[in-house]
Formats: sequence, structure tokens, C-alpha cells
Amino acid sequence: MWNDIKALLRLIGILLVAEGGLMGLCLVPAVHFADGTVVEMSVCTAVTLGVGGVLWGCFRRYRRIGDRRMAYLLVVLLWLTLTVFATLPLLLTGATHSITRAFFEAMSGLTSTGATVFSDVQSLPASVLLWRSMMQWFGGFGIVLLVVALSSRLGINRYALYTAEASGADNSGRRVVSTVLAVRRTLAVYLVATVVFIALLWSSGMEMWDAVNLTFTNISSGGFSVNGDSIASVTHLQQYILAVAMLLSGVNFTLLYLFFTFRWRQIGHKLEQFGFYIVLYLLSVAFVVGGLHWSNGYNWGDAVRLGTVQTISALTTTGSVVADTTQWWTPVCFLLLMLSICGGMAGSTSGGLKIMRVLILLRNVRGILYSRLHPNAVMPIRLNGQVVSGHIRSNVMVIFMVFGLTLLLGVMLLMLCGVNATEAIGASVGCLTGYGPGLGASGGFGSYAAFPPMALWLCSFLMLMGRLECMTVLVLLLPRFWRRG
Amino acid sequence: MNYRLVARLTGMLLLLLAAAMLLPVAVSLHFHDGALLGLVFSACVMALVGLLLRSVVGRGASLELHERESYWITASVWIVVPLVGALPYLLTGSLMSITDAVFESVSGFSTTGSSVVVDPAKLPQGLLVWRSMTQWIGGLGLILFVVALQRRLRGSTLALYGAEFSGTQQRRLHPKIATSVTRLWGIYLGTTIVLIALLALAGNGIIDSFCLALSTVSTGGFMTSATGLDGYSHLTLALITLFMFLSGVGVALLYNFFTFHWRRLRRNDEFIVYAAVYVIAVAACAVSFALRGNGVGVSVTYSLFHVASTVSTCGFYATGLEQWPFAASVVTFLLILSGAMAGSTGGGLKLRRLMTLALYLRNYFTRMLHPNAVFTIRIDRQVVPSDYVHKIFGFVFLYILFIIFGAFALTLCGSGIADAFCLAAANISNLGPSPLINTMGANLEYAMLPTGAKWTLMVLMLAGRLEIFALLAIVSPEYWRKR
Repeated sequence: MWNDIKALLRLIGILLVAEGGLMGLCLVPAVHFADGTVVEMSVCTAVTLGVGGVLWGCFRRYRRIGDRRMAYLLVVLLWLTLTVFATLPLLLTGATHSITRAFFEAMSGLTSTGATVFSDVQSLPASVLLWRSMMQWFGGFGIVLLVVALSSRLGINRYALYTAEASGADNSGRRVVSTVLAVRRTLAVYLVATVVFIALLWSSGMEMWDAVNLTFTNISSGGFSVNGDSIASVTHLQQYILAVAMLLSGVNFTLLYLFFTFRWRQIGHKLEQFGFYIVLYLLSVAFVVGGLHWSNGYNWGDAVRLGTVQTISALTTTGSVVADTTQWWTPVCFLLLMLSICGGMAGSTSGGLKIMRVLILLRNVRGILYSRLHPNAVMPIRLNGQVVSGHIRSNVMVIFMVFGLTLLLGVMLLMLCGVNATEAIGASVGCLTGYGPGLGASGGFGSYAAFPPMALWLCSFLMLMGRLECMTVLVLLLPRFWRRG
Repeated sequence: MNYRLVARLTGMLLLLLAAAMLLPVAVSLHFHDGALLGLVFSACVMALVGLLLRSVVGRGASLELHERESYWITASVWIVVPLVGALPYLLTGSLMSITDAVFESVSGFSTTGSSVVVDPAKLPQGLLVWRSMTQWIGGLGLILFVVALQRRLRGSTLALYGAEFSGTQQRRLHPKIATSVTRLWGIYLGTTIVLIALLALAGNGIIDSFCLALSTVSTGGFMTSATGLDGYSHLTLALITLFMFLSGVGVALLYNFFTFHWRRLRRNDEFIVYAAVYVIAVAACAVSFALRGNGVGVSVTYSLFHVASTVSTCGFYATGLEQWPFAASVVTFLLILSGAMAGSTGGGLKLRRLMTLALYLRNYFTRMLHPNAVFTIRIDRQVVPSDYVHKIFGFVFLYILFIIFGAFALTLCGSGIADAFCLAAANISNLGPSPLINTMGANLEYAMLPTGAKWTLMVLMLAGRLEIFALLAIVSPEYWRKR
């Protein structure tokens, strides 16, 4: 028990050191742009590194977390601790003086949601801006995946951790390669993609500063921006480049790895969810483009560009905004929200339910219909040519139920906090799925600045729930979890 | 496919409807409301079409029933009957557009109670009676009529029986389907007559008592005045509240109640949950009303009424309160989704399903901590098979999908997103009008909705009434594949 807790503290220490290191990188723009936050950022870095280092140092010998319960606790505590330390740069540099707002922003960053409380982003110091992007890049990849990668040889019950974090539905990836290998590949793809997109954006004529920030926030399906109008003011070509970055952030990393290392034969039998992803995407784009042209009066060129990019942004739950979406036709806004609930593929940085789950749910309905017509038939559900076991089926259905229930309760509670119904729906979906922008004041180029403090805390909780796929957080709330034995 | 049998059964039901039209005709004759001609004429059309279907198209039909036919019968009955039932509205000239008439009719037969009639008090009495009768006929289910009528049916009558009560594992009252159906109708009729008598004794007019009683027992919710139940006495409201609560209990369970098998009532887990949900919701609503500065007495009585109306998906409302708090909307929305007990005339997801899911979730969480543990779900001391749990999951998923697609279609017709969700949820659960809809957004009158929105709502009402699968089965390609 105590050894488990010590090992847990050690892991938190390691991650804090990593976070402190990234904070240190934010000193570069602080010095370069001379925005007057050098001292504050140094203090933050020192504190985070210090606490992390002490924890790591004290408990360096405790390497094993054997207990399943500890794995769940670890994941949640990790996010909370990292979020708390991530608020430091926001608070110390005076970007905001409210703990509520800082916590919301940090949570939104680390869960790569992209909902912001800053209505005027451009007035923030450069170091804070980079820190916001950095949080998303760090969080989007999945801190837990990093944990697994770091501790791959350190004897943690890796499998328990991996299932706790995400991708419960993606059994195909795990069956072929071991978790460690998957994580390494993911990390490789992620790093390479980041560098490539920074280079691409830079060569298309973007400032280095913007290129770095936008790549960080879009490759992680985050959605923060250094501009007040998100990605609306960059050139058309750059918007398309960013759209590709977002699209990749919604694709399973193992698939990407196999693709870019030319192992196409291995991809062949995994393409089913990718196919569904593409079909869903094309259909939605057709609707959005049509709606924008006929109902909002955009010319075809603009409608196609805005429609394609914004649909990608929604489906991958990135949340970058190409135009003032609050003015768009209501059904288009509705569709974008629903797409963000579908989310990207399992094993990517995107949030939402994940395409694979949606696919399994739909197949399940087909199976039930079939069995009603032929009561004695036994009809297995297949995915990628393999039978989906009853265990995974119920897993998916439970997550769907809990996700839906959380969404509903989120809307209800936000309304009780005094948010109006439409905005409550937007905020609940936006935060739980990790999309970011909601409806009304919080949608489009807007921010969550006008939300009451209670609502902000609730949204932060929803973001945490969404990132950890609900179950990991909820299991901590069970009395049985805390009972001995 | 045995089309002749389908035609025959549909025809028989239409003949029955024509016979039922005698009552509105008699009322119209008595009150000289000017609708006589229209009503008689529509009765004649019903009888004619019915005869045509039964005796010409359906002549010599074999009475052998298969699974596939049972779905087809369900769908055809539920499409033909509301269409024909719209005739009286059109022919008496009360509703001028076909969309409106069909909407009112579908809303009636599906016991939703959403009305496009701006002021029901101005309708001729005969039509008013017909309007409430549609709910009563649809309440227990059109298919149950068919089963009761055609006692010589062979084969899978059970599938037919289950088409309107899908996925709830009905316990039959008698080994013979036809006998249990007759008993169900007996209870239903008895309850209705008692309520009519009580309402009349409470000092309401005979037409009013009749219409309100039929709306209450069938959990439909058509009202006879434009201002809801505002003008009625406290006694009337109390009676209606009681009977709304009772209609939320399954009809089969009421049979046990009236035959003094009370022990079965106490052993029924779902009933206990139903009662608990009712009490908790009333408490929550009453507190929220009182906190907004309404008097305590008014808050409690109004909550009792409002929660009964919502949980049974009846949909009566009265504007007894000045302040409508958000908290009450929240409770209301959750109640709309949950609905009443399985086997009742109400809509919604039904408590039995939700109980099963809740127990399953509890087990799931425990399994997250103890991966190798094996659990079972028990309701009424019986183990629920996991196959059945999967079906419930599928149903809930479809239900939510229908709400989402319905809301999407409504936004296409110009609704706001929040309004669209409320409208879709209220109509798929066959609730109909509710204060919730009026507080979420602008004052939404069903009459003001565009045509497309009305048709969307009709599909939702039918989907909710038939619990989706019956509707979905006949549009699935699998259904039409040759064997």
C-alpha cells in the first residue's frame, strides 16, 4: 500500500520534471521578445523542477505499482497535479488573478480541449502564449502514454495503465504490437509530425512564432491560438496545411507509423474504421459546404475551404476556428457538435467517443435487428474481419452510456449554474469531447470568460472526465474503491 | 409475406374504428354542434375502406402468422389507422391542412397529446370526443385490439404482442395470449369508467369528464381548453393526479392490484423504484418551487401534479405557478427520458430498462476493481440474461440516436438547438406539451411549427410509441431479403 503510494509519487515527480523542462523552454520567447516575464517564468520552472526532482529523488527506488486501484488513482492524480503546477505561469505572470480561471485554462490545455477564458489573447505575454501551446502539445499526446514510455522497463503494470488512459476499444493495435512498442512508435510519429508541420508552415510564409504555436496546438488536437481569431487570419494555404495536421491528429498513431514506414500490408486489415472515418467526414463536409453556400451566402470557394477545415476541426475535436461559426446556419453548428461527439479514431490524440466505438454501437444495433427477425440466429459483430468479443461490446456500450449521462448531467448542472440552455449544451459538449468552442458566447472566436466560477469548475471537471474517458474518474467516486481489501 | 392477412387485420381494425365513431356521432347529434355530417361521412369512409380491406383484399387469408408478418402488421396498422383517423378533423372543417389533421391524429393514437388546435374549446363536441378517443384506443396499443379481435390467429402471436411492448419482457396474465389481452382491456376500461364517474361527481361537465378521463388513463394528454387545466377545481386535479400516477404503473400490475394480489405489488422491484422516483422528484420540484418564492402548499400540490404528469408522460399542464425555476426543468427533462413502468401506457425509456442498466453499470465498476469477479443482475428475484442487457443497450442507443436525428431535422426547419432537443425528447417519449418546452426557449406552440417540423415530430411519436425496433425492422434491408 505505502510502497504503491511512494511509487505513485515518484511517477508524479518524473512528470513534473518533464513539465518543468517544458516550462523552461518558455523562457526562450520571454527573453527573445523581452516581455518582462523572465523572472516569473524562471520561478515557475524552478518550483516545478524542484518539487518534481525532490519527489523523484526521494522515491526513486519505488518502481512498482502493482495494485489496479493505484493505477486509476495515479492517472487522475497525475492530471490534477500537473494541472495545478501548470497554473503557476498563468498566475505568477499576472495573465489572470483568479485561481478558477487559471485552473480552467490549464485543464483545457493539458486535456488538449482548447476552451479558453481569455477574451483577449493577444495581450498576453509571449511566454504565457507559448506555455498554453506547450500544455496542449504535452497533454495531447497523453501524459499517461509518456508515463508508459518512460517507465517501460521499470516494472509498472503497464497494461492496467494503458487501459485506464484511453482507447479501450482499440484491441487491434495492442494485439499486434506490445504496448511499449506502440508508445515508442507514437512518440516517434508525434515528434516527426511536429517538426514537419513547423517546417511546412514556415516555408509557406508564416512567422516562426506562429508556426510553432499553431503546430503545437493543432497536431495535438488542442485548438488554442496565439491570435484572437484562431486560424481565421492565416492564408488559405496555411489553413489547409493546418487541416492536414488536424486530420492526422485524429488518425490512429500506429496506423500512421505503419503508413510512413511503408508497412502497408499490415495496414490492409485495419482500415475499416479509417474507411468509416472518411465516409462520415465526406458526408458531413458535403452538408456543411452546402449549408454554408446556400444558407450563409458564402461563395463556393470559401464554403469549400471553411467547410472542409472546420469539419476536420470538429471531427478530430481540435477546435481551431476558421470563421465566426456563431453566425453559421444552426443545423451546421449542430452537425459540428455531433461530429465532435463522434471524435477521431481510437489511439489518436482526439477526444469524443471515438469512431471505433460508434462503429461497434451501430453494428450492435444491426445485430439486434437481425436477431429480432431471426430469433434463433447467432450473429457476431465483426470489425476488421475479427469478431468483437462480448466483453468489448459491453465495454463500448457502458462507455457510451456513461458518456451520454455525463453530457446530459453536464448540461443540466451548467443550467443550474445560470448558463442558458443553448450555451450549456455547447459548453458541455465542447468540454467533454475536448472540442473547445461551444455555442453562443463561448462559440466561434468567443471565450468562456463570461461563465460564472461554478460553471468553470464544472467545465474543468468535464474536460478531465472526457480526457480520461469518464470511467477512470468515476471509479474513484465509488465507496468500494476506498474500502480495504 | 402473407399480405392478405395484413389487409384483413387492418380492415378489421378500421371497421372497429368506424363502430367507435358512433359515439362522437351520437354526441354530435345530441349537442347540435354542426359537425354531424362530417363525422358521419368519415365513419362511412372508415367502414368502407375497412370492408374493402377485410372482405375483398383480405378474403380467404390464412391465419398463420410469422415473425415477419407481425412487424408488417404493426407498421401498417400504425400508419393506416392514424391516417384514416385524421378524416374527422378534415371533414368537419376543424383543421384545414392535411398536415395538421394527420399530426393531431398521430399525436392522439400515439398518446402524445401534442396539439395543433389553438383553442380546443372551439372544437365541436363530437370531434372533441373523437380526439380523446383516439388516445384511448392507441393507449393500450392497436395491436392488442387486433389480437383480441382475431382469436383464431395461429403462430407467433407473441411476437405481435411484443411488437408494441418490445424489449420489456412482459409477463403475461394468462398463458393464453388472447385471454390476457382481454383481461388487460377489462382493467383499462374499468379504470376509465371509474375516472369518468369520479370526475363527473366532482362537478365537471360530462364531455369534459369524458375527455379528461380518456386523456388521463391513456396518458395521452389532450386537454379541452387552451389554458391547460387552469380552470378546474382542486378535487379534479387531485383525481387526475392520482390516476396519472396509476396509469404510469403497468396495466398488468394494476390487474394484480384490483384482484387483491397485493403481495405481488410489494415484490415488484420496478414498482418500488417507480414510487421512489416519484417521491424524490416531487420533493426536488417542490423545494425548487418554494425557493423561488411560491407558497409551500402550492409548491407541493403543484409538484405532485406536475411530476405525475411528466413521469407518466401524460403531459397535462396548468399554469399554477408564477416562477418556473431551472431546477424544475432539469428534473422534468430527466423524468421525460426515464418514463414510467414497462407495460404501462406511458412512453419514455421505461424504468425497468433503466434499472437493468444501472445494475449493470454498478457491476461494471466493481469489475474494474476486481477483473475476475462474476456478477448477475437480478430484478424481481430473477436473473436478467446478458443477452437481454445487450438489447436494452441497443435500444437506448437507438433512442438517443432518434432524439439526435430528430433534433437535427428540427433545426433544419428553423428551431434553435435547445428547443429542438426538448421538442424531440418530449415527443419521442410521447409526453407532448410540457412547461419545460415553454421555459427552455420562446413560447413554442405546436401550431406555429413549420410543416417539416410537424412531420418530423410525427415520426418521433410513432418511433417512441412502437419503441423503435418495430419501425426500424421493416425499413431494414435484412427484412426484405428473400429467404
